[in-house]
Amino acid sequence: MIGHLSYFAKGFKTKAIETFSLTSAFQTPYKVLGRRGLERLDLLLLVIESLDLNGSQAMIWNSHQLGFDKYFPNSVELWKARCHNPLRKKSRRGALKIQESEALISLLSSMATRLYPQIHQLLSKKEPQDITQARWKLFQERFYELVQERMNHRRGAVQRILHDHQTERIGRHLVLTLALIAGPGGCDRLRASLLDRTP
Amino acid sequence: MQVSFRYDQTSARLQVDGLPDFSRGQHSGTLGIVSSWTLSFVGLTQLEGKKEHLQALLRVVLPYARHTLSGIDKTFGDALSPVSISSFKDREGHLMKLKSSQKDVEPLEILLDDAELADLVRCLDEMRLDPRVQIKWDVPNDRPLSKRETATKWGYTSRFGQPFLATLAFLAFASILILLPIPQNDYRTTPVLSDTKELENQ
Repeated sequence: MIGHLSYFAKGFKTKAIETFSLTSAFQTPYKVLGRRGLERLDLLLLVIESLDLNGSQAMIWNSHQLGFDKYFPNSVELWKARCHNPLRKKSRRGALKIQESEALISLLSSMATRLYPQIHQLLSKKEPQDITQARWKLFQERFYELVQERMNHRRGAVQRILHDHQTERIGRHLVLTLALIAGPGGCDRLRASLLDRTP
Repeated sequence: MQVSFRYDQTSARLQVDGLPDFSRGQHSGTLGIVSSWTLSFVGLTQLEGKKEHLQALLRVVLPYARHTLSGIDKTFGDALSPVSISSFKDREGHLMKLKSSQKDVEPLEILLDDAELADLVRCLDEMRLDPRVQIKWDVPNDRPLSKRETATKWGYTSRFGQPFLATLAFLAFASILILLPIPQNDYRTTPVLSDTKELENQ
């Protein structure tokens, strides 16, 4: 039993947030994000905000920590970059600059690493079921509210997210995405998935 | 000389033991030759093997995670591979099958939930990107998926729905136009020379 306890204690030990630099992110090929990539990137940031009530502020702090002050010196600039998502109520035309999208990818991966223990609890089937359900309910309510508040309801993609069954399924997939992009190899995986070609 | 590195996550732990490869100029404290490794999941069987098995695990689990990120269910690991992984019952879990190199040993099946898969991926990532582990792993690079690869995710309705409707609308519009009578142009609006002659005779 003692062995198990010590194992868990080591497992829960939080690690220092890895520092990402834009130069290291550029070592792999990069391209301008397409429409779907921008949509997913913003939705994943929205999931971060749903998981962490102070998520938007934490993003700014993390951005400073990662050295992205040049791109996102304040929450307004971060919001302006996120508004390139065509699903937004007030979306901005044009593509996001490569440097800005790289910074957002690094920021997202870093935030996922920071929230990993919480994400793990949500995804684990070994947690007590009633507690997990309550956590999911809380997350979905918050995610639903944020989508309703910020996204354009006339868009089919937004309507799909707001649909009862789809919210749960899409929310779960987005949380799993965050789990898989946390850690040192997450940035490359996320960048590659955002650049997927869709029919 | 023996070095051992451990990578811990909440429900998974990967330990790699080995030696530095002095023939390549590696110094003590680095790992260049893997002698053994163990992978333990809380409440599940402990796995162990040689470098080849760890390489197979990397080649199968990391691309699977990459495809899962894009929402594509695909089985990784062929009949010859000691490890294979696939989605279980409509994404309820992830089924990892491990074939033993010894004869008459049944393959081991481990069902991982999403959290355990994420822990495994993080352990493998930390190990392969650890600067102290100086082994060149043969792992495919993360790359964007092609249209053909992502096509399975979208289904026939999403892929062909819009082009089909567009073709249908074009045909309907064209057939309506065909049914309309062609207006007959009256070329005799201006008096012809023969007509004027007739008029003069009258």
